[in-house]
Amino acid sequence: MADLMTGSEADVAVVGGGPAGLHAALVLAQGGLSVVLLDESDTLGGQYYKRRPAQLTAAFGDFRPRGTELIRQVREAEVVVRTGTLVWGAEDAGRTLFTSDVRTGALGRINTRATLAATGAYERSLPFPGWTLPGVVTPGFALHLATMDRVPVGNRVVLAGTGPFLLPVACALLEVGARIEALVELNHPYRPRASALGGTLRQPARLAEAARYLLTLARHGVRVEQGARVLAAYGDTQVTAVDIGHEDGRVRRLETDALCVGFGFRPSTELPRLLGCDTQADPTGTEQLPVVDADGTTSVDGLYVAGDCAGIAGVQAAGVRGQLAAHAILRRLAPERAPAPVAGLRRRARSLDRFAALADRLYPMPATADIPDDTQVCRCEGVSAGEIRQAAETGWNDLHGTKAATRAGMGPCQGRECGHIVAALAGRGSGPNRAAECFAARMPIRPLPMAATVEGQEVP
Amino acid sequence: MTRPDVIVIGAGVLGASAAFHLAERGYRVVVLERGGPNREGSGTTAGNLHIQAIHTRRPGQEVPVDSARLLPLQRRASDHWAQIEERLGADVELRRGGGFMVAETAVQEEELREKHEWERRAGIPTEVVTGDEARKQLPLLSDRVRAASWCPLDGYANPLLITPAYLTAARRLGAELHAFTPVTGIQRVGDDYKVLSDDRSWTAPVVVNAAGPWITEISALAGVGIQMSPVAIQMHVTVRVPPVMHHLVQHIGEGMSVKQVSAGNLLIGGGWPAAKLDMEGRNTVSVPSMAGNLAQAGRILPFLGDLRLLRMWAGPLAATPDEMPVIGEVPGHPGFFVAGGTYAFTLAPVWGDTLARQIAGEVAADPVDDLGPGRLLYDDATTPVSP
Repeated sequence: MADLMTGSEADVAVVGGGPAGLHAALVLAQGGLSVVLLDESDTLGGQYYKRRPAQLTAAFGDFRPRGTELIRQVREAEVVVRTGTLVWGAEDAGRTLFTSDVRTGALGRINTRATLAATGAYERSLPFPGWTLPGVVTPGFALHLATMDRVPVGNRVVLAGTGPFLLPVACALLEVGARIEALVELNHPYRPRASALGGTLRQPARLAEAARYLLTLARHGVRVEQGARVLAAYGDTQVTAVDIGHEDGRVRRLETDALCVGFGFRPSTELPRLLGCDTQADPTGTEQLPVVDADGTTSVDGLYVAGDCAGIAGVQAAGVRGQLAAHAILRRLAPERAPAPVAGLRRRARSLDRFAALADRLYPMPATADIPDDTQVCRCEGVSAGEIRQAAETGWNDLHGTKAATRAGMGPCQGRECGHIVAALAGRGSGPNRAAECFAARMPIRPLPMAATVEGQEVP
Repeated sequence: MTRPDVIVIGAGVLGASAAFHLAERGYRVVVLERGGPNREGSGTTAGNLHIQAIHTRRPGQEVPVDSARLLPLQRRASDHWAQIEERLGADVELRRGGGFMVAETAVQEEELREKHEWERRAGIPTEVVTGDEARKQLPLLSDRVRAASWCPLDGYANPLLITPAYLTAARRLGAELHAFTPVTGIQRVGDDYKVLSDDRSWTAPVVVNAAGPWITEISALAGVGIQMSPVAIQMHVTVRVPPVMHHLVQHIGEGMSVKQVSAGNLLIGGGWPAAKLDMEGRNTVSVPSMAGNLAQAGRILPFLGDLRLLRMWAGPLAATPDEMPVIGEVPGHPGFFVAGGTYAFTLAPVWGDTLARQIAGEVAADPVDDLGPGRLLYDDATTPVSP
């Protein structure tokens, strides 16, 4: 293999150039270790600190300047930055990473002494009738268009789902001139019961942020409708209408040209799971999260996890967790250095974790039981909820058997989009072995261009 | 049903086929499966229907298959597969688009001609064509192809569908399937075998051990020492593309099989070794095997370079030390049958039929005495007697 892939060495590989990865890389490099920071996209920043194209920056200003500053510091600290590099596989506890150049497809491999997975999260989608129509998008996609390209996703937008993320998306849409037809929140987070308030007081900044968004929305006459949800979207070649169901059973039909529906985020855990790290079910019971200690140490010696990949907690927590993991790696790989004090970071992490737990309580997920049988769940392979339920109900099929029987999760997204839903639906069967499961992480973690393997390179 | 006529251990393709053929003859059958049906080798295999001689070794395979010996059985398998969808009342994505086995060198071409002679004698239609003739039929073949043997009977069936189809048909005929039911003990009770799964048990005069890589462990429970050499091999699948080829393409010199399945994905295999066989958990794929298999497949079919690899996986292969299949009653253990070994997918219908005939006391459609488990016995302990 040595002559098959271009190899390189570093003390630490940080996979993911978002807030957690950037903070970690900076601490590691300042601590004297050689660090390679890898990201699939062609710029650093991840989703939160994503970069606005130069022309737009000139016209509209820098997007989240804190990210710009962080990236500048990382580059100055001589972190080896390899954007446009897909990590598609790993072995040996993460000490070997297999990479592919996103543009050329050239394969590479990186040997390290430790690896930090800071791979972030995906948006959580839940299927409903009509969710595959063009014009039905995630809030994150709408935000990307609004902030990076200054383009509204539609003129008459309906935003729905659950989670605090819907608020900044709505504000960003207003800023680029979209009209918000409705902002529909499944839960009742904005008049929380007294019992839920305890945790919020420790994070006044976050509360103030939400209040600011709500104020902006109010100024534009946008009211958050709580306890309501999307029942179905309609349209021929494009979404044109949506039914909103209210708790009192009332159904309201709205005309729309863009429906953004999201239910928060799901950690992107393929890399740690591929490396066999111990996992545990998240509160929804349909995701397997890496088991980590306060420093992001996993059960796999040399593998660390930080940021939303270790459980959704947001940008502040990602930065703190990234730094904590970096300090843990420094204590391990550079024991001769005086260890930096981390008590403050740990306190901050605990406080942010409490805030994340509060968010979990305020924005619970809806039940998958409500997904109608004829609704498509795996859009890559065209598999409906009913087909998945039927396969599970034979009693022969656990999650993996359900996948084999239905092809759900076998398409180009490799089950990333639908895996948690298939798991929830398959878990409804009556057979044994019904423990929480998820699709196995396999190489390649992303579809891998085969050109480099097939052409040019000789088999040793 | 705690006192069936036959207990089949293993719900892979062989156990499922045996259950179907037995149930079709009126036997009352219970199938016990340690996990989910079709989850191990049978569900992870390539799904090739090898009708022309197999010949090629898997990379790392030490002992060659006696290809000529297997040809009459492959001929028989071809006939079975031709009727299988009708017989099972199921669509198993059966495709008989024919297959090329390619040669790149003069020595390999000579092997093709030798192989063709065996096939002719076994009544299997093949012809050796030049590279240009092969490319006329399948223009995707590269200039590296010097010659190829063509067999119109080669094909593919979806390994995710055939075992469930057998099981469904068997259940329609009264067979019982118990998934997630690992066998934990086998005892002799008079002339019968009592098969235990923790606190449950089934008793029958006949047991079929079709446990694939676990044949040794299951046999040992019955005091039978059968030597197997299980390995893990790996498969690669690309993203879906529109139909581009309907042939099975293999290589005479190296382990390689490529075909496009009904869904549109290209499936690339050839028995390349996985990194690790893990009989308790998940088998680990090997990146060098991936690179080797894809490079070699791309040399013969360069269009593969334009595709993206979607997944790879490793599954167990219940190989025997002499690489030949094993089928039949264990000498000294009346009623205890074993079926397994390489090319079980292609031969599954033949082995189901053969077991049913053997259990009924009939003569097999093709002689298989030389493939019996006697050759693999390593000690002659006796089955523990039920207390």
